[in-house]
Amino acid sequence: MSSQRTLVRTPIQTLVPRHYSTINWVGLSTLYMKEVRRFMSVATQTILAPMVTTLLFLAVFVLALGHAVDTVAGEPYMAFLAPGLIMMAITQNAFANTSSSILISKIQGNIVDLLMPPLTPLERTIGLAGGGLTRGLAVGIATWVAMVPFVPLSAAHPLFILFHAVMASLLMSLVGVLAGVWAEKFDHMAAITNFIVTPAAFLSGTFYSAERLPPLWQGIAHLNPLFYLIDGFRYGFIGHADGSLTAGILVLLGANAILLWLTHRLFATGYHLKA
Amino acid sequence: MTDVARPATMALQARRFGPVNWIGCWSLLRRQFKNGFSDLHFTILGPVISNALYLLLFVIASASLTTLDPKAIVTFIAPGLISFSIAERAFEVSGANLIFDKHERTHFDWLMAPLTPTEKAACFALSSTIGGMVVGSAVALMTLLFVPATIAHPGVMLFFAAATGMMHGLIGTLLGIWAAKWDQYTALHTFVLLPLAFLSGVFAPVGAMPETAQRLIAFNPIFYLIDGFRYGAIGEAAADLRVSVGVALAINAMLFAWVHYWLRTGYRLKT
Repeated sequence: MSSQRTLVRTPIQTLVPRHYSTINWVGLSTLYMKEVRRFMSVATQTILAPMVTTLLFLAVFVLALGHAVDTVAGEPYMAFLAPGLIMMAITQNAFANTSSSILISKIQGNIVDLLMPPLTPLERTIGLAGGGLTRGLAVGIATWVAMVPFVPLSAAHPLFILFHAVMASLLMSLVGVLAGVWAEKFDHMAAITNFIVTPAAFLSGTFYSAERLPPLWQGIAHLNPLFYLIDGFRYGFIGHADGSLTAGILVLLGANAILLWLTHRLFATGYHLKA
Repeated sequence: MTDVARPATMALQARRFGPVNWIGCWSLLRRQFKNGFSDLHFTILGPVISNALYLLLFVIASASLTTLDPKAIVTFIAPGLISFSIAERAFEVSGANLIFDKHERTHFDWLMAPLTPTEKAACFALSSTIGGMVVGSAVALMTLLFVPATIAHPGVMLFFAAATGMMHGLIGTLLGIWAAKWDQYTALHTFVLLPLAFLSGVFAPVGAMPETAQRLIAFNPIFYLIDGFRYGAIGEAAADLRVSVGVALAINAMLFAWVHYWLRTGYRLKT
């Protein structure tokens, strides 16, 4: 029988650990592709649904307030609102991608698939954050395209748009990783989303101009990192910013650096993962 | 073993219920609530927080960008949001329960029970209505942080709150029966129900909208429910109240008949 063939093996060859170069490219790209395929296979829910809800928000606010707003920052209300809404969609979806990926893996028990492969903590961080980054940008582009027929959107400074979109996706992907590692139940995640992520996004100056707020509220708004994301992103479109652009870029670079380090620490120590 | 003396003539018979199997109905209702309210703090606190955020946004945006009176805007929007939260919760109670049941194959628990299709449909509708109104009340209490309470016509308000809850409970039941997967369920919710609710005059007076939008909204049943509820709350309506009541009754009767038909034939449940 063919199944009982004896295998011929060279006698002296012993098993040695496999060696990788500085970066395990195959492993890294596998992790990244797994993260991307995970949301692409349900693109209706992960890209189309956020696009539709964002358009609904646009419609609601324009219908309710648009007729009474003269101009904001020299722009019609719709053109002021649209970039902020795109940014909101980016942040929420980048967060949702990494946080749900880790939490579901933990609950289903297949988190070992992430922990066992020969990946360094840095590679894990990059692979996961890369997935969230891709989802954030994909949703951002989809929402932008969907808005074009309704809103006259120019691009005053394309590089600002790109920089802030990438920074936003990365920031919220990393926050999502932290939340996913920390949470143990869907309830925990719902609490983080409802009580932290959504309020921070809503009260970040998407719907109004921070410039026109009373000083106290303005001060509070400037403490919110999402404010700089939206402000800088909007500057890329309409060429007007409420706050300082330099401060914004520094805050974003700093926040991302801290989050990268923190995520790396979590994966290196196995906090809440290998216990 | 003690000998039980049993009269020889008494054979086992089918159990008889009165016109309504009250015990069965009560059990099914309790089962619905057990699933829906096990995590009360999220089912109630979630909508309360998000609706508070909506109101806060409208206050900040209207106060800083427009000359409109924020109080007037909030007074207008608050009843819409209450109505909207009733609808969302009512839909969830029936719809999510059913999908979960089908997924776990526990729907046989109530399919096998000696309940008529009418009783089952009524229980689904009632549990949704109550669930929706509980969340609606919590959201209503929250709005008191922004505007003083106004109840112009309590009876009208209650009628439309119940009609909204029942309608969405029945829609949730239909979707729950029809959908084979979560995907389909959430897709219909996001792409059909949510746009209908958002574009129904929750947030903006219909009178201020463009002509075409007004004509389209006249075909949206949710518009009449929200409009009627708002009339009950603040005494202002965009549509004729009699039309709203008629639409509410007609659509609920139609949906009830539809749910009844599917439960009677066992469509997608007994196959």
